[in-house]
Amino acid sequence: MDILVWLENTFIANAIRTIPWLYPTFETGHYIGLSLLVGGIMLIDLRVLGFARALPLKSMIGLLPFVWIGFLINVFTGSMLFIYGATNFGPNRAFQVKMAFMVLAGLNALAFDLAVRRSGSSWVAADRPPNFVKGVATLSLIFWICVVTTGRWMAYL
Amino acid sequence: MGFLEWLQGTWLGVLVAESLWGYPIFETIHTLGMAMMIGSLGLINLRVLGYKPELRLLDTRQLLPLAWIGFTLNAISGTALFTSDAVYFWDKYTFRIKMILIILGGINAALLGQRVFREAAAGAPALPTAASTKWIAFLSLVFWFGAVIAGRLIAYTP
Repeated sequence: MDILVWLENTFIANAIRTIPWLYPTFETGHYIGLSLLVGGIMLIDLRVLGFARALPLKSMIGLLPFVWIGFLINVFTGSMLFIYGATNFGPNRAFQVKMAFMVLAGLNALAFDLAVRRSGSSWVAADRPPNFVKGVATLSLIFWICVVTTGRWMAYL
Repeated sequence: MGFLEWLQGTWLGVLVAESLWGYPIFETIHTLGMAMMIGSLGLINLRVLGYKPELRLLDTRQLLPLAWIGFTLNAISGTALFTSDAVYFWDKYTFRIKMILIILGGINAALLGQRVFREAAAGAPALPTAASTKWIAFLSLVFWFGAVIAGRLIAYTP
């Protein structure tokens, strides 16, 4: 695909090719980002599902900034990694499935947001998440575990 | 035959090295276990450092099972990955640094658990006042994130 070839010839891709420590830095950054993103979302989702009950639900939901920071780090580092190897990663099945799961995770988060706007969030203070919230939390866990898994498998396909 | 060569020849070493799915599966488990540990231990350490003061210190103990599950998954998956290419991994200084950081992280975690949870259980005030306890929590974060970084860099070590 032309755009993939074009990406691999950008200034960024060339910089990564010529400066040897850039790729390891971006890859390592991607893992740090994933620790924050997936580590954080695990804590929130598991808490919604009743794990570590003594910790207030509202406080745990307050960990979302870490999730966002991890996500933004990974959008950045992921873009850098992709640009460098666009013709390899673009057609990679595992990469495509990973992106699909990310879209699903995003849609899941959106559905959650819309539902909360409709029904309100009084359940947070009461620590009684309705079933749909538990469903969203479960899907969130599944989707992000799939993102990590398919991401890892990119190297093997 | 050296110990490392012997490890590589075990059923586990052979399975992971020669099967199509062995390495990717154990690597994936290793990554997920890492996320569990960073999440749970990260929050406990941050709380000791003063973040999210509304969380009762003693209550953060409930996060420990997740940290233990993550650690166990990583001990098992890490062993599986290591045995598949023991000579290669042991040769890498980044791998050895990672092992040292994990040991330091473990000692630190035990120290923190003793001080923080015992203090809090004995009715200590809301925040541990000892600066040394906060240093332990801070170093904990350094050790665990350091282990993540060192682990990632193994593949790039000549």
